[in-house]
Amino acid sequence: MSDLGELDRRDAGGEAGARSGAAGLGEPGYGAGASGPGEPGHAPGAAGPGEPGHAPGASRLGEWGYAPGASRVGEPGYAPGAAGPGEPGCAPGACGPGERGYAPSASGLSEPGHAPGASGLSEPGQAPDASDLDEPGYAPGAGTQSPAPGAGTQPRASGAPGSAGAPGADRKPPAPRRGGADPVKALMHRHRDLCERAVDPLEIAAGLEAHGVTDRTAARFRHRDVFSLAEEMYARVPRGGDTDAPETTVPEAARPRADWLLLALLPGALTAATLAGLHLTHGRTRLLVAAAGLLAVALGVRAALTRGPLSGTRRTPAPARPSGSRTWTWWLLAYAALGDALLRAAVHGGPDGLPDGTPHGPWPLATAPTLALALSCVPAALAAHLLTEGARRRLTASRGLTEFAAAVRPLLWSAFALYLGCLTALLAVCAALLGERAGYAQGLTLGALLLLARFLHVHGFTHAPAVVLTAAAAAEAAATATVFAGRLPGCGLLAVPVEALVDTWGPGSVPALVCGAGALTLLVHASRTLTRASAHVRTGAPK
Amino acid sequence: MRIGLLTEGGYPYVSGDAGLWCDRLVRGLGQHEFDIYALSRSEQQEDEGWVPLPPQVSRVRTAPLWPAEDDGAVLGRRARRRFAECYGELALALCAGGPEGAEGVHAAEADRFSNALYGLAELARDEGGLVGALRSEGAVRALERACHAPGALRTARDARVPDLLTVATHLESALRPLSLDWYEEDGLGAVDVCHAASGGTAALPGLLAGHFFGVPLVVTEYGVRLRTHYLTSGAGTAATAAPAVRALLAAFQSRLAAEVYRRAACITPGNAHARRWQERCGADRAKLRTVYPGMDATRFAEVGESPECGDPDTLVWVGRVEPAKDLVSLLHAFAEVRREEPKTRLRIVGTATGAEGEAYLGHCRALAAQLFPDEADGLHAMGDNPVSFEEIGGPELPTLADAYASGAVTVLSSVVEGFPVGLAEAMLCGRATVSTDVGAVVEVIGGTGLVVPPRNPRALAEACVALLRDPERRARLGAAARARALELFTVEQNVAAFHGIYLEVVSRCPVNRVVLDDTGEPLPFGVPAEAHVPGRWAAPGAPLVSGGDPAWTPGPPVRAMPAGEAAR
Repeated sequence: MSDLGELDRRDAGGEAGARSGAAGLGEPGYGAGASGPGEPGHAPGAAGPGEPGHAPGASRLGEWGYAPGASRVGEPGYAPGAAGPGEPGCAPGACGPGERGYAPSASGLSEPGHAPGASGLSEPGQAPDASDLDEPGYAPGAGTQSPAPGAGTQPRASGAPGSAGAPGADRKPPAPRRGGADPVKALMHRHRDLCERAVDPLEIAAGLEAHGVTDRTAARFRHRDVFSLAEEMYARVPRGGDTDAPETTVPEAARPRADWLLLALLPGALTAATLAGLHLTHGRTRLLVAAAGLLAVALGVRAALTRGPLSGTRRTPAPARPSGSRTWTWWLLAYAALGDALLRAAVHGGPDGLPDGTPHGPWPLATAPTLALALSCVPAALAAHLLTEGARRRLTASRGLTEFAAAVRPLLWSAFALYLGCLTALLAVCAALLGERAGYAQGLTLGALLLLARFLHVHGFTHAPAVVLTAAAAAEAAATATVFAGRLPGCGLLAVPVEALVDTWGPGSVPALVCGAGALTLLVHASRTLTRASAHVRTGAPK
Repeated sequence: MRIGLLTEGGYPYVSGDAGLWCDRLVRGLGQHEFDIYALSRSEQQEDEGWVPLPPQVSRVRTAPLWPAEDDGAVLGRRARRRFAECYGELALALCAGGPEGAEGVHAAEADRFSNALYGLAELARDEGGLVGALRSEGAVRALERACHAPGALRTARDARVPDLLTVATHLESALRPLSLDWYEEDGLGAVDVCHAASGGTAALPGLLAGHFFGVPLVVTEYGVRLRTHYLTSGAGTAATAAPAVRALLAAFQSRLAAEVYRRAACITPGNAHARRWQERCGADRAKLRTVYPGMDATRFAEVGESPECGDPDTLVWVGRVEPAKDLVSLLHAFAEVRREEPKTRLRIVGTATGAEGEAYLGHCRALAAQLFPDEADGLHAMGDNPVSFEEIGGPELPTLADAYASGAVTVLSSVVEGFPVGLAEAMLCGRATVSTDVGAVVEVIGGTGLVVPPRNPRALAEACVALLRDPERRARLGAAARARALELFTVEQNVAAFHGIYLEVVSRCPVNRVVLDDTGEPLPFGVPAEAHVPGRWAAPGAPLVSGGDPAWTPGPPVRAMPAGEAAR
């Protein structure tokens, strides 16, 4: 740092006068004597090496070396500390090179009344008007970067007396600053990331401050504070008119993963195993197998629904989530397995005994739709995956909510259709394998209902599926109950509609109608709700 | 007086941000009653529990800010329409222009924002919660409409659907305080003053309490929330967010900050730097009182008052080791110091936290080993490096005060600093200091130590040498520093300042409550008229911070005192 270079720009008399003012202000006791306006010894021009008499004064001054007069000239002032180096009487280092006119008074603080508050405390040299200055007490531009040629470059330690140039050499042109004519441009280049990213001048200000830019630094750029510097930088950032190039890359669709695919296979496999067990065993053992199989399937379904695209973890569930929907789902499945036979038996005066777990008993078990539905967990998971991933991709790509809705609706329908197609195939295969009637109508409608309910549940809409599932289960129960109620005396009329239905289209028509109505309702609902962008938010915030 | 202390991720929780400060405040003002309304930032924080609370805390109510369960409030048709209106206004206020512009436009935007905010608050109070509505499609649609409205921000116009969703999610969590059940007659309506321990979301309940019940609000910001928002939104994963998201969220934070500053009865920044930001964000100067953070001075009393002044040849640096502290510059400076004063030693006391800090510490150790070879007294003695890296708690430096006591000069070489706690501690220890001009250093040191430009090892070295060679000056500066620190940075001054501010605020804006009699009928003349006379609440001797002068305007020049006297 060659603050000496600054000195010779200064008028010696003005300097001395200013210093005397400063000294008198804070510490009149000794300042006046040492640095009267008439003392040429303090003027840099005269502070030669042969002035030991002034040494104490000079070194003291060094401590709060700040010459207001110098700064008022408009140039950064490393003022009197420089008077010291030439003094043999005082150690060069002790003559305040450390402070060398560096004004601790926060010249850039917006409130002058506060900034120099320090000055009254102990540093008499502080200029009270420091905060009015354009330039702060130190100017690295002059000091660190481009030392003035000539005397100014003399290192302090050498005590070069030449530093105290003749007063005539005052008006040197200011030393060129690094960064050329446009220091702000250099600063912008250094912080170009920040500038390009910033959405607001205050963001640049915050970023600059985090990089150590202070108001005093800002003063180097001819700005009052960091805020106005940031405003200039923000205003000068080149912004292309059309930055709306599709820089957002559509994310790669996640592939179906083995773990949840295997889990989705679980219910089907367990159901098949249970059915095989039922087929092979008799009597008490069969009962045990049935119970164990039911438990295993229940756990398998639960496992399949806790991982992968069918899991409801995407949205935090509402506290008042109707837990009934799970019960009703099981009820609907149970009806699919046993209900048709019960209805048929009821219409014909039965049933005469409990189901024995075989498809050929007096109350037969409809194994084919059960197995097909259990196996359809895999296409259901795939369909949900398709919907989720497709919606995510379209979410990133679309520019508006309407556009998004229009893009997602066919996706939803195609996922739904995919599932129905798979389920049809499964029903056919299972029926062929087990040698039973497929029962397409009731199987497909129930599958559709459950799939849509799951879709909605996964995306956070739990209310509508719960209502519809409950209604469907209640309708099925009511249909069966009316048949039994028709046996009561005088209530024969109650059984008429269901009996007519069973007589015309068979017992499968009741669940088919009920589930079909439910599925249709949910499909309409899903077409409205699942096409909303807010349904596809991932709340991935940390807990 | 009953004070509602509003914190966010703060006080009663063990891992709170400003926990220590709030704890001292609450404990220091035993004559008042405190209700604490805390927003917790994470589930983990909630699990860690609370700090022990003093008896003056009469109640604590908490609410989570992290993604919580839906409150299940389903809006009816009319409420939905009201919501859409208010939220649409809010979105328009966020998207409109920038914070710049003509003064009138600015004021109109601020009004629009506050009207929308209070509209939403009233709706939430009527309906019992807005969480579901704020997450709903209606909110996203309102945002989309606002982004495409004429006169919207340029960046907002580029918003895509995912950006809108992100903004809606963030707004929902920022507006979570609207849905709380704190705004009851026996909740925030019952306090006399709301004191928000930080700006932003924590001050939002205070705003609403002011809106519903006229409770005055005091806002304390040791770090300006808006600035923190900018810094966090520009770093890490948040920096990859779309410009539209960052623009809208920044607009929200800045509008909220402006609204908080506008409604607050008193704003207490922790230093002049925070103060400048607050003024920039629209805080009225008349409301600003700088209240410096308080530090426990008793820990340093022994060191600060002892006459001996540490090893005269030792420089001490104390702090947390991280790149912002610029230890490299310090080491280079020390190399220069050694050239002048070969016997000098440097003690770097501090620990590194995090991987970055560890790496930096390792780097500094390597640099020190390179710059300074080990030295020994003679041919037969074992050598030692003049730079030592130490930690507090070892046998040599059992306490923090010992660390400061071990050297004659304390050095601070940071390039970035907020409120330099270490510097204030060194001042309390009566040490002469050399520090870089960053953050609030100059206003803390106030001329009782040397200040050099940051990133200037040579200036730092010269200042250190100057002090090392001049024991008298060291003593003088140290004594002055201790006197200044005792005046400004003690817990007592902090607590007293807030005490005064509470009394002043209450005397200026008393809450007018209708007093009910036993049958529930309003009791006429239940509140004596004197209750409204300003000044009655303020005890004559209350240490009020006078309005005009900043709190830290110093008294007589400390430097003029002899060193011994000042130390006493």
